[in-house]
This record gives sequence, structure tokens and C-alpha cells, in this order.
Amino acid sequence: MPNDQYGVGASLLRKEDDRHLHGRGQFVPDIKLPGTMDVAFVRSPHAHARIRSIAVAPELRGRVFTAPDLPRIKPIRITSHATGTKAPAWPPLATDKARYVGEAIAACIAPSRGEAEDLANAVAVDFEVLDAVVDAPRDMHGSRHLIHEQWGDNLYVERVVEGGDIEAAARAAEITVTRQFRMQRQSGAPLEGRAVLAYRDHRLDEVVVYASTQTPHTLRVALGEFLDIEARCIRVVAPDVGGGFGPKARLYPEEIILAALALQLDHPVRWVEDRGEHLLTAAHTRDHHYKVTAYADRQGRILGVDAEIVVDAGAYGLWPQGPYQEAAMAARNLPGPYTIANYRARHYTVATNKAPLGPYRGVGRPGACFAIERIVDEVARAVGRDPVEVRAENMVRSEEMPFTTVGGMRLDNGDYKESVRLCAELLDLPGIRARQQKGEPDGRLVGIGFAAFAEQTAHGAAEFVARGAAIIPGFESCTARILPDGSVVLMVGIQSHGQGLETTLSQIAAHELGIDPARISVRHGDTESTAFGFGTFASRSMVMSGGAVARASRMLRDKLCRIGAHLLQCDPAQVRCAEGAVLGPQGSVSIAEIALVAHLRMDGLPPGVDPLLDATATYEPAIGTGVFSYATHGAVVAVDPETGFIDLLDFAVAEDCGTMVNPMIVEGQIRGGVVQGIGTALYEEIPYDEAGQPLTGTLADYLVPGAAELPAIKIGHLHTPAAATEYGMKGMGEGGAVAPPAAIANAVRDALASIGAEVNETPITPRRVMAAIRKAREAAAQP
Amino acid sequence: MTAIRVRINGGEVADDVPPRLSLADFLRERRNLTGTHLGCEHGVCGACTVLVDGEPARSCLTLAVACDERAVETIEGFAGDPVIAALRRTFHQRHALQCGYCTPAMLITARDLILRQRAGSEREIRDGLAGNICRCTGYTNIVTAIAEAANEIAKEAPNAQ
Repeated sequence: MPNDQYGVGASLLRKEDDRHLHGRGQFVPDIKLPGTMDVAFVRSPHAHARIRSIAVAPELRGRVFTAPDLPRIKPIRITSHATGTKAPAWPPLATDKARYVGEAIAACIAPSRGEAEDLANAVAVDFEVLDAVVDAPRDMHGSRHLIHEQWGDNLYVERVVEGGDIEAAARAAEITVTRQFRMQRQSGAPLEGRAVLAYRDHRLDEVVVYASTQTPHTLRVALGEFLDIEARCIRVVAPDVGGGFGPKARLYPEEIILAALALQLDHPVRWVEDRGEHLLTAAHTRDHHYKVTAYADRQGRILGVDAEIVVDAGAYGLWPQGPYQEAAMAARNLPGPYTIANYRARHYTVATNKAPLGPYRGVGRPGACFAIERIVDEVARAVGRDPVEVRAENMVRSEEMPFTTVGGMRLDNGDYKESVRLCAELLDLPGIRARQQKGEPDGRLVGIGFAAFAEQTAHGAAEFVARGAAIIPGFESCTARILPDGSVVLMVGIQSHGQGLETTLSQIAAHELGIDPARISVRHGDTESTAFGFGTFASRSMVMSGGAVARASRMLRDKLCRIGAHLLQCDPAQVRCAEGAVLGPQGSVSIAEIALVAHLRMDGLPPGVDPLLDATATYEPAIGTGVFSYATHGAVVAVDPETGFIDLLDFAVAEDCGTMVNPMIVEGQIRGGVVQGIGTALYEEIPYDEAGQPLTGTLADYLVPGAAELPAIKIGHLHTPAAATEYGMKGMGEGGAVAPPAAIANAVRDALASIGAEVNETPITPRRVMAAIRKAREAAAQP
Repeated sequence: MTAIRVRINGGEVADDVPPRLSLADFLRERRNLTGTHLGCEHGVCGACTVLVDGEPARSCLTLAVACDERAVETIEGFAGDPVIAALRRTFHQRHALQCGYCTPAMLITARDLILRQRAGSEREIRDGLAGNICRCTGYTNIVTAIAEAANEIAKEAPNAQ
């Protein structure tokens, strides 16, 4: 049945490409509806301020909308079932107080965006400016002006993750290494920003909301809740989406406001975010502070890790999951792929006067990986051994799996040590060591560094229940439908925005049905045409939606075989689906002929078989705690000790994501993720000043990686199919972004070893490299 | 309002536009040529790249009124252009696009690199793409696709400058 040309495992070229190569993609701002008015927002210029009054000139009434003008809107509320969490109500248009620069205060409508922005500039808001909370570790227990006064502090939640006996590990340790790490705040920065187009369809009695979102179905749930209307009266469509990476998997005030305007006005309304708004107000990410102590023996065997993690989560929690998961995931994932037996992580999620923190490729784990992988290298250096060896020796061995880490992650299978070896081979570790011995003619210092991780993917109900999550995205759905001519439509609840799921889900149906993927369409992103699903995030869609497609396709296959066998006058057990037909012991009948019978000629159906070829299935992996992809990343850098400039000479990934449905797409996802991780490592940062003003408002100062500063990314594969999923698939969308900061920081550390400098903060900018070098030289000069 | 006459993808267009209207908004909002995308609107990301009189230009920073009596080519044009055709083929074969948002402008920039003989090595191609951001692919496959298209074009027209 499997077809090597187009089934599971084939590098089928993408169905999505043609429209984009001709400029015929359809992104939200490309959709034109007559009479559409553009929306621009009045946003807070202050990080923390009471709103005394909003002055709207009488002639602007009906064109400028503040909170009282949109009475339908209820505050956004997060539900968390985890103990000790605080969840502020968030009015989509600020009423009494603004809590971060960029918070929406009023919506202005005009025939063009420029004119709407003119209106926004004409609205005067009288503020009483308050002290901004910008230093999470300093201000978490209190500040002169609290962000949410009723709390008494600025803490969303504090928790401890622990296992074993960290005090005993401390007593037994021969080596103790302590470091502080910092991963700065950044933006997801998809190339297309957010966008919403909303209008009222009176015939269908619904409000139609086109949104650049990863999660159309849950967006509909949210709009129903916060606009107090029934879901049957809401249709959400995510058409082509120009990148998501996590930030578009959350509800935003703008989506609620646009839907409310559409319900209240008699024309469509559109909001297209500009880059400044994106950098100010779309979900920010990372912003982690760590203090980590590792206890080890003289061989570098890590006995225990004690960590304190502070996550600066911004002013509000984004619906549905709130601000809690970043720190919690960092704490649970920090032990990484290691057998560390004793662990304690105190973690704090802190409210500040910054934009809300949301998910971004890797969620929590790039920071955790940075902390543990840097400390593993420092343990190795402390005992005078090669970090490659110490890393491998501390890893969970294949024969120990499934292995539950001290952080509570159940690592299912794989050969972690082999990924370290393979990555070192891809980068020619001995060759780099020889090059280091020789030195560089230009005086630059070459270093090589590695970082490994195990990535929880496609986690189901068990994981989200354990987190106390508000909603449990533990399954996906597929309706598979064969039309009267034998062509196939798959309707799925996920959303594909670059992942190529129109191609890979077709491959799975093709694999099960023996039908050419060219005859299969995938519909996604539209609540009207698809059964409920959660969307695309958490490295879940290939496993979850792919599993649902497999199940629905098999239901159709069984029916095709029953009808086909009847037409071939044989037993259903004697037939199979392949080559676009049902094949029997003698002769075959095409899917098209069977489809004809199932729809137009029901007199050909066997007794007891209903017409139609239409099946809806849901799927949840057999293990709800996730299946773990893993990888070792390695980087080779050249650091100029005079300028601090880092040249990334080489980068390699040795990874295992189980069965690959489409290896070409897997490699594309890895490379894309790695480059985003390189952005975290070297370039991307949203600094805030003491007044809570963000200092990067354009792509000229918020630097995302470009082609010129990157090497080609090398990839090596290992193959350990998962036991708990269809075909042995594991998710892999995020992993690429997890390890580059740690691998590059370890490479920079290696390069600067002779100076004794280390940089434990991302992005590793020339300024930070020079500061580290100066500090090391000053320390060396001390008597 | 200012009256302008622009040749767009080979066809004459006359319109009255506000002086502050960008070429990108003119193309997208008035001509429905939505293959020209806006990623930053301040000239950094390159997603809005079109040709003005044959030269790549940021349509977000170019005013529509400045294109009076000039020729503009967008991704919807290039009918019969062998370089764009080769690039479309190699981008597809090499998986050089994911979300597709940067793709039209990436093709237009790549075509310009090939025609200017600035796609002869990986280094040259990477430097030539410095003004076009792709957030999805990590560029490796884009660079490969452009190199392959450049090779194809060089083989087909060995005497070209």
C-alpha cells in the first residue's frame, strides 16, 4: 500500500508553492471587500499611567471608539486550574489604566489606513504617569506603583519543581559551579504581521472574521466568550498566514475589537498591523533570568542542579493559557536529556510594564537549554575535560528509556549520545581542534560548541491537565470526504502557515487510500468547513492532525473496500486500495467508479452500506505526555577579540524526529528554526529603558538574521520511530530554535578560553563580548 | 490628488493619487496587485520589492507620484521571462519557500542578481540577499535555488554579459 513516490517518507514537492511563486497567495490584507474601513489604534505612549480622560472631538464621534463606545466587549479573562496563579482581567480597550507602551486605548476608522492614523493622532489622552516596573527580579515582590494593585505584589505565580535530594547532592559534590544566565526579550517577528478583516453576513446571521492566526477555532471560542455571542454566529477564517511561530497562537485585543466593530457598524472593518505595532504589542518572548548551581564529581558527573528562574512576563496574560507556561516549561525542561537525579528549580513569573509574553518557537526551552548546556560546559571545564565527552556521559542511555527526568519529562526513546557524536563529526571536531592549535592569521579566535536537548512534542491531554491549563489541546480532527468524481478533500482543524501541511497531510491520505496526492485537497483554517481543532503550535500538527487524517482515511478505505468488493463480487478481505482503485483477486474498480456509486448510483451499494464517502475522526497519541524529538546542535565561530564581532563559520544539527513523512519539509523546518535560534543567540533583542519604553521599533534596530551573516546549515538524521504515534512520527517544528543560543554561547566560550572570558547573556552582541573580554582581562590583572 | 500615468506590467494605467500614497499601497489597494507584500514599511525587509524602470525598488518607500511616466513590474508580470521561470522552478524543487510571504520579492531580487551576474557563488548570492528577509527558511534552500537557476540561465545563454 505505501507508495514510495508520494506516501509517508517521500520528499514530495509542495502543493502550496505554485500560488506563492506567482504572487497569488491570499493573505488577510489581500482580501478586498467593498466599503471596507481601515482601523488604526490610539495606543499608550506610556508604560504605566492612569487614564484621566480621553478627549474625542465632537466631529470625530462615530469614527473614534473607546471602551464605552463598544459596550458588547467583556474583559479578557484567563482561567487557570493551577494553584496560586493570579490572572488579571484585561479590557481590550484600556479604561482606567495603561500598563505597557502600545496598549490599545481607542480604535479609529477611516477609508484608508493613513486617514485612520490621522484620526488616531487627533485623539488626546490625559495621563497621570506612574513609575514603570521593568526589572522583574528586583520588583517581583513589590514596587512603588504596583501593576495590578489588588495583588499586593507583581507576581503571577511562584512555584518549585523538585526531585531527589538537592541538599545531599550539594554535600556530596566535589565540584560546584554557579552561573547566572540571561536570555533577553525578543519578538517572534513573522514577516507578515497580524491582520484582521471583519464583516457581518446578514444572510447567514454571522460575523465573519478573517485573521492572521494559527488557531482559528479557539479564536472563535474566545470571540464568543468575550463578545457574548453564540459560536454559530461567528466564522473565523485564517487564509494564507505569513508566518506565525507562536505569537499568532494567542487571542489579541484587536481581534475582539474588530469583531465588535463589525457587529456594530454596517460595513467591513480591517486592521493591518504595521511593524512598529508588531514590535510593541504582538506577543513578546523569552526574557528569562537564571541562577544555576551544578554539583558534580571530579569526572564531571552531575549529581544535582539547583536553579532559580525568573521570567519577565509583561503586563497581562494572553488567552487562553495565560503567562504561566514559559517559566513552568523552563523549570521542567532544564534537566534536559540528562540523568541528573537531584534537582530544585524555584521559578517566578513576574508582571512588568512590558508587552505580554507569549509563545514563540521553543517556548521556555531555548532558555532552559541555554542554562543547562552552558552549565554542562562549565562543569566540563572545571574538571578539565572536553565538554563533548562530559555531555555524552551525563545523558540518558537508550537502554534506560522510557526515562522520566527529574524535571518530570518522560523521554520515550532515542540514542542521545549518538546525536552528540554525529554532530561533532558533521563539524569535524578534530579538524577544528587542529585549527585552534595553529591559530588564525588574522588574530581571530576560533571556537566550537555544542548543545543538546530533548523536545517534548505533540503532547496530549495528560500534559496539559498536569499544567492546570485552561483548555486541553489534546487532540485533532479530520473530516475526509471523497466527492462524486473520486477526488478527495481533507478538512482539518489545524492551520498551515509555512509548514507544508497541505502537502504532508495529502501524503498521509494518499498513503492510506492509494490515491495520488494531486487528487487530494486540504482545507484548513476555516471554522465553517472544518471540525473543531486547536490549530498549529507546540510541534503538534503533523502528529495530531496527521493521525486524524490517517484514521479518517482508514474509515473511508474500509468503506471503499466494502463497496469495491461488492462491485467485484468478492469478499472485502480479498481487496485492497492502491493506484487509485480497489484491487481484487480478479480485476479492479476505480475509486471514481466507487464514488459514483456512493453518491449518484446508490443501487450499486451493497446491502447495509450507507451512501456517501465521508468520515470524521479525532486523534490523540497513545501517550499524552508527548513524544520526544532530540538533537545536538554544534556551532563553529570566529571571534574578533578587538571588536567582539562574531562570525558564524559553521553550524550542524544531528537530530531524530522519528519517522519523517516528508524529509524535505523536515529539513526546511530544522533550518528555519535554527536560524531563528541564531537570531536569539546573536541579534534579536527588545530592550526597555527604565521608564518602560521599548527601544526597538523597526527592523533597522530589531535585527533578524539575514542571508549574508549565515552559513549553510548542515543536518544529520537519526531514526527512532515513536511507539505511541501513527507511523512513528514525532513533532519537530520547534526544535531547531531551541539549541542555537546554547551551542553558539559554548562556541564563543571555547573561542575565548585563552582569555578566560564567557558571555552568559543573549544576544551575544559585540558589546557584550567586549565587556566579557575586558572583565576577564581585569580579573587576570588583579594581583 | 495628483494625476499619474504608470506603465504596470506592460499596461498603461492613469489614476489620481494622494501625494503621500506609497507605490505599494497604490499597487495593492488600487490595482489589486496583492503579490507585492508589506513586511516592515520602512525599507528593511524587502518584501515589497518591485522593479521601477527595470531596477529593484522598495515599493513601501517609493511614492506613487514618483512613478509618473515610469514602468513598474510586479510579480504578477514577468510573463515569458526566462529567469523568473527558472527561479520558480528551482524554488519549488529546492523547497525555497515556506509561508510564501517573502517569496515574490525574493524572486524579483534573485532575478536581478542573476541578470547582473552577481549570483556566481554562495557568498555573492548571500550578500545579494542582504536586503530581503525570510523568516521561515533559514535561506539555505533559497541560496541553492538561486545558484541552480543562475547555472541554468548561464547554460542557456553562454554569451550573455
